[in-house]
Amino acid sequence: MRLPRIPAWVWIGGALSALLAFPIVQRSQYYQHVMVMTMMAAVLASSWNILGGYAAFFGLGGYLVALAHNQYGWHPFVSTWFLGVVVMGVALILGWIALRTHGSAFVVVTIAMVFIFRIVALNLGDITNGARGLTQPRPGWGGVQWSPEIIKIPFHYIMLALLCLTVLVSWRISLSKFGLGLVAIREDEGKAEAVGIDTMVYKVLAFGISAYFVAVAGGIYSYFFTYIDPQFIFNIFASVTMVLIAILGGRGTLWGPVLGAFIMEPLGDWLVGTFGGTQIHLAVFGAILMGVMLFMPQGILPSLSEIGIRLTRRRGPGRPGREAEARQDSSSAAGT
Amino acid sequence: MTIPSTHLFIQTLILGLLVGGVYALMASGLTLIFGVMRVINVAHGAFLILGAYFTYWLFTLTGLDPLLSLVITVPLLFAIGWVVQRYLLTRIQNPEQASVLVTFAMAITMEGLMGTVWKTTLRTVRPEYALSVIELASYRLPITRLAGFATALVALILLYIILQRTNLGRAIRATIQDRNAARLVGVNVEMVAALTFGIGIATAAAGGSLLSMIYSFNASSQTDWISRVLSIIVLGGMGSLPGALLAALVLGIMEQLTAIVITLYWSPIVFYIFLFLTLIIRPQGLMGEVVREKA
Repeated sequence: MRLPRIPAWVWIGGALSALLAFPIVQRSQYYQHVMVMTMMAAVLASSWNILGGYAAFFGLGGYLVALAHNQYGWHPFVSTWFLGVVVMGVALILGWIALRTHGSAFVVVTIAMVFIFRIVALNLGDITNGARGLTQPRPGWGGVQWSPEIIKIPFHYIMLALLCLTVLVSWRISLSKFGLGLVAIREDEGKAEAVGIDTMVYKVLAFGISAYFVAVAGGIYSYFFTYIDPQFIFNIFASVTMVLIAILGGRGTLWGPVLGAFIMEPLGDWLVGTFGGTQIHLAVFGAILMGVMLFMPQGILPSLSEIGIRLTRRRGPGRPGREAEARQDSSSAAGT
Repeated sequence: MTIPSTHLFIQTLILGLLVGGVYALMASGLTLIFGVMRVINVAHGAFLILGAYFTYWLFTLTGLDPLLSLVITVPLLFAIGWVVQRYLLTRIQNPEQASVLVTFAMAITMEGLMGTVWKTTLRTVRPEYALSVIELASYRLPITRLAGFATALVALILLYIILQRTNLGRAIRATIQDRNAARLVGVNVEMVAALTFGIGIATAAAGGSLLSMIYSFNASSQTDWISRVLSIIVLGGMGSLPGALLAALVLGIMEQLTAIVITLYWSPIVFYIFLFLTLIIRPQGLMGEVVREKA
């Protein structure tokens, strides 16, 4: 079988135009909602891919944006980009502590962070309204509330913008010396340090950048739902799901986490819709994840590109350049 | 912030110690599994809750005492653990990284199944003696906690005997120290791993039975429990059994003290604050060794 090689810009341009046109073509509130959540999952999974902890910063961003909106009337669509920087500062400090640990212990520490934030949010009732949560006014702009028919559309475009920014930054990082350093750290931290990479600085910076996107997403999310509470927003399940999505799509690849999100998020919604009411949807979701982890440990994208390489290899002699190129693609992608 | 009287202080210490004993049992299996297999079993909390539900079932259907039900739940979960290790976890290709996620997916699956079978209502097992209290020199000891502590102690002593006095125990300790060397001297490492996982899950079953009469629980409580036991083994030093025991007692006591000195609502945070402090001062945990990255 001959596979015509489609240039990257065609793929990206096509996908982007499809996403731009989506809310105009698809008028169903339900699908628009799922699409916003899917793009958010893609943002979260991609930022985890840079160097993730679990999403304590999602909730922090959500709370800051909600508070700034209620107290000072800052519009979330504007404030989230700036308050994300504040969260990034917090992440740099916490990262400096948490990144002293390695591997599994780091996972545990970041999970603990989620719980610390949750307990703090629950107990600082004067500021966060405790377990009752924070409510924001119905979304609108300049004193005019958006009507229910179009209310998802602004969220669609701001989330799309954030997704593009996240992917763009991930891509720039993967091309830079900084990105190479992160690859080296991921492959073998000890050796990376030995060749002179300041692993601590690299990791803390990456942690901060990743936290920025997560926090901005959290800010948009809190306005999208106009309600947040500590149990809901500092949620281990949701944040580990993002990790699984990233790994499922292909850890360390640029598009893997995005692909994973576009598969798993709608699937999750479909499962809730089909098995809703009981918790069986959770079991099915878990079982699917477990299956992929066990039988496709590289993730979907690298597995697909391996198939792609095999297909190009079958073309036989005469075009060795393509094969080498394809290999290089997959190896550089696997390492980013 | 209130400064407790000496009497209250000692009372709190006792309660903390009793709770800490149960925590120690729960964490022992997790740290053992990590020590032998380098796998963080994130589903440990789910297995705890599964043990609690089995106890609950036995109690409501047959009236079997939660402590006696250990005779059934412990072997049952040992078998489940053995099967899970043998047929699922051995398929993981890169255990150190992927095991967290696979066992997490397992935890979600189990939470979903348990939520389907037992619904979301919070349950507690309440035998007749549930509310009785023993007074000892003016200190009040709730009988369920006392029984929980005693059972945990017995279970831990059994575990100690298995580890120190049996061939299996020697094989487990050898595998913890150096997997490859153990293999070279003829230890069947795969068999040891499966049995260790079984033993680890069996301790979770025992812990779960005790949990069921001290706390109320439902399927989603597993996240609270896994974060507690994980904090304990990180604080103690991952893979170190004595470390886990010490950390469990320390955290049990600190948790109760915070509940008295500040408020009940803040007490869970002690776990995580402690975790952070430990990691800043002593990243390898109280009694852990510095883990070197192995090529």
